Amino acid sequence: MGAQPIMLARVADSLYWMARYVERAEHSARLIAVNLESMIEQSPEDAEAAWRRVAAALTGDDVAGADAFAVTQALAFDRTNAASLVSSLHLARDNARQVREQLSTEVWEHLNKLYLGTRDPTAQSVWAHQPALFFRQALEDLFTLGGVTYSTLRHGEGWRFLELGRHIERAQLVSRLLDIYFGVGAPSQPLPPPKYFDWLVLLKFCTAFEPYCKEYTAALKPETIAQFLLFDAEFPHSVRFSVDRVVEALGHVAPGAPPSRRANCERLAGRLKAAVDFGHIDELTGGTIDAFLVNITRQCEQIHDAVYATYIAYDAETVL
Amino acid sequence: MQQGVGQPEIAGRAEGGTSTPAPGNTLYPHYELGAAYDEMFAPDGAVRAQYHGLNGRLQTLPSGELMRRQHACEQSFLHQGITFTVYADAQATERIIPTDLLPRIVAAAEWEHIERGLKQRIQALNQFLLDIYTDGHVLKDGVVPRKMILGSRHYRREMRGVAVPHGSYVNVCGTDLVRREDGAFVVLEDNLRVPSGVSYMLANRDVVRRAFPNVFRAARVRPIEQYPNELLATLKSLAPFQEDVSIAVLTPGVFNAAFFEHAFLARQMGVELVEGRDLLVNDNVVYARTTSGLKRIDVIYRRIDDDFIDSLIFREDSALGVPGLFNAYRAGNVILANALGTGVADDKAVYAYVPRLIRYYLNEDPILPNVETFLCREEKSLNHVLANLDKLVVKAVGESGGYGMLVGPHASAKERAEFAEKLRADPENYIAQPTIQLSTAPTLVDGQVQARHVDLRPFILHGEETRIVPGGLTRVALKKGSLVVNSSQGGGSKDTWVLSQ
Repeated sequence: MGAQPIMLARVADSLYWMARYVERAEHSARLIAVNLESMIEQSPEDAEAAWRRVAAALTGDDVAGADAFAVTQALAFDRTNAASLVSSLHLARDNARQVREQLSTEVWEHLNKLYLGTRDPTAQSVWAHQPALFFRQALEDLFTLGGVTYSTLRHGEGWRFLELGRHIERAQLVSRLLDIYFGVGAPSQPLPPPKYFDWLVLLKFCTAFEPYCKEYTAALKPETIAQFLLFDAEFPHSVRFSVDRVVEALGHVAPGAPPSRRANCERLAGRLKAAVDFGHIDELTGGTIDAFLVNITRQCEQIHDAVYATYIAYDAETVL
Repeated sequence: MQQGVGQPEIAGRAEGGTSTPAPGNTLYPHYELGAAYDEMFAPDGAVRAQYHGLNGRLQTLPSGELMRRQHACEQSFLHQGITFTVYADAQATERIIPTDLLPRIVAAAEWEHIERGLKQRIQALNQFLLDIYTDGHVLKDGVVPRKMILGSRHYRREMRGVAVPHGSYVNVCGTDLVRREDGAFVVLEDNLRVPSGVSYMLANRDVVRRAFPNVFRAARVRPIEQYPNELLATLKSLAPFQEDVSIAVLTPGVFNAAFFEHAFLARQMGVELVEGRDLLVNDNVVYARTTSGLKRIDVIYRRIDDDFIDSLIFREDSALGVPGLFNAYRAGNVILANALGTGVADDKAVYAYVPRLIRYYLNEDPILPNVETFLCREEKSLNHVLANLDKLVVKAVGESGGYGMLVGPHASAKERAEFAEKLRADPENYIAQPTIQLSTAPTLVDGQVQARHVDLRPFILHGEETRIVPGGLTRVALKKGSLVVNSSQGGGSKDTWVLSQ
C-alpha cells in the first residue's frame, strides 16, 4: 500500500452530487434572471409562454395561467420543491458539508455564504426590489464559486469528480432545454412556436448569445442555434463540450482501478462522444432531433449508472 | 473555600464577597469582583501583569468598536460552518457556539506548573489502565477496590491482555481545570474517552488574533497552530512501522454535534475522514472503500464511543461503527486511539483515587490537586459527609448530568435527611465535594466588559511521548453568576493565551 492519495467512494459520491446541484442552481438562477429581464419587452401572452418553457425546463411543471410572481416563487423559493433554486443550493451545501475536509476553505465558504444568502429572503422581499438583481447576484456568486473551485483545489481525483458531476448535469440540462424548444419536451398544452425573441432568450439561457453571434452573426436561425448548442467543440455550454469534459474526467478518476474495471464507463462515454463529435444538424431534420436529444439524455444516465456500479456503490467482494 | 454557593455543574449566583469595581478607569463600571478569584483583577482592583497589554488596548478602543469586532468574529464562525444544529422547527437552524472576543490570559509560570501537572497525571492514568487490563497490581495491593473497577460499566473485559502500543491507552485527553478562590488550579475531571473542543481552541485563536493583532504580538503569546501536526505525530507513533502509515479519523457522521471538529482535524492533518460505512473488515484487516478499490487502514483516531464502535462485540444496534473492528484490533492489525476501555478511569469514583494513583505509580506528590473529594465508601469520610450535608454536594458515581445528586446548601432539611438515608444504605455509590467558585474572567456581554466564570480544558497528547500545546479551551458561563460552562446550557468559549514570559 503506497501513500498515494485515496478517494473514499462516499466522498466521490458527495463531490459528484455537490457539483450537479451547483450546476442545477446556476441553470435555475440564469433561466429565472434572463426571463425576468426579457419579460419586460414581451406581450403578456408571449411572457406566459416563456415562463411555461422555463418551468418545463426546470421542474417539468406546466404553469399555464400562473403569473410571473407565482412562477418565480415556485421555481426559486419553494423548499418543498426539490427542483427549486433554494433546494438545489441546500442539497449542494449538504453534500459539501459531508466532505468539508476535502474542499478548500474558499470553496466551502463561498458555497456556504450562497446557501445562507438564499435561505433567508422570501419571494416577497425579493420581488419588492428588482427581482432580477437578486438572481444576477446569485449568478455572480456562483461564478465566483466556479472560479475558486478551479483555482484553489488540486486538480486531483476529487476535482475530476466535480467536473464529472458538473458536465453530466450540464449536458442533460442543455439537452432538455433544446428539447422544449425543438420537440416533444414541451408542456402538455401546446405552446405557440418560438418567435425571434424567444430564440434570443434561449441563447441567453445558455450564456450563448455573444459567442453565437461571433460564429454565426446575429441572424438567429433555429438550425444554427441547435448546431451551436449541441455540436460546438469550444463553447462551454454546448453538449459536445460537456461530453468532452466527461470523457476527460473519466480518464482520471480512480487511478488505481485496473483497466478491466474501467472498461465499461469508458466505452459508454466514448460512444456518447462519437455521437456528438460526428453529429450534424443537417441530419436531424424532420423530427429526428427529438429522438437524438432523448438519446443523449439516456446515454448520460447510463454513464451515471456505470460510474456508480464501478467506482462508488460496488460490491466489496468483487475487489477483494 | 466554601464561601460561594453552587457547584461547577449547577447554576448558582455568586454571592458573598463585596463588589469591587476596579478603580482608576471608567471602562469597567459593570465589572463586579466577588468571592471568586479573578483572572484580570487582583482583589484590590489592580490589573494583573499578564492583562496589562489587553487592558491598555481596551482603554483606547472607540466605543462600539468591541461590539463590531465581536460581530465580525461571529460572522466568521457562521461562514466557516462552526455551528451546531437546533431542530426547533421544520427548518433546522444552525447556531454558532458563542465565542467571546476577550482572551483569557495565562502567565508563563502558571502554565509551566499546569503543564508539569498534566504530564504527571496522564502518565499515572495510562499506567493505571495498563495495570488494570494486565496484571492488576493496583487491585492486588488494595490501592483501588477491585470491585469498583471490575464492576464499572466502562471496564472492558474484552481488553484484558490486548497489547497497546507504548502502553498508551489514552492518546488524546482533555482535562478540565478550574481555579479555586485561592488562585490554585485544580482538576475538576479527566475526559479520557473522546474529548472534544480542540477545534474551538484553534478557531477562537484564529478570530481573536485578527481582532487584537498588536496586543497579541506584543504579549508574545505562545502558538498553538501546531496541534494538528502534533496529533498526527502522536497517531503515527502508535503504528508498528513508520513508512506509509495510513491514518483515518472515524466520525459518527455529519449529524454528530462535533462533526465540524472531526472534519477540521482530518483536513488539518491531511488524513481521510471516514464513517463506519466507509470501512470493512476482511480477514481481520480493516479496509476503506475507495474509488480505486480497497485501501488498508493502519491507525484510526476514532471519535465514536466504545459502545458503538463494533456491533459484533458491543451494542448490536449500532450502525455507526464497523462490524469486526474489534477482532482486527485484537489481532494487532489496526490501532485505535484512544484505546477501548479508557472510560473506566474517568468516572467520579476513580477520579477521587487519582492522587493516590500518582503516588503509587510515580512515587511523586500530585502537582495539580483534585477538588477535595470524600469517598463515602470510606467510613471516616462518610461520617464527615453526613455531618456536613448542608455544605457539600453529593453525587452518585455512576450518574452524570446532575442526576442522583444532592446540592447541600440548596436542599431543604427534609431532602437532606432523605438523602442521608440513601447514603447510609449504599455508601459505595456516592462521593461528596465542597462547593467551589470557578474563577472569573473579563467577558464581553451586551457591549460591556463583565466578570464571568470560566474553566480551562487543555488537551494532552500521549503516544511515544507526551505533548501539550500551550493553551486550551476556556469555556465561559455567559449568564451572570452562573457556574455552568457547558455549551448546551448557555456556555461559550474564549481564546486562551499562554504567554511566553
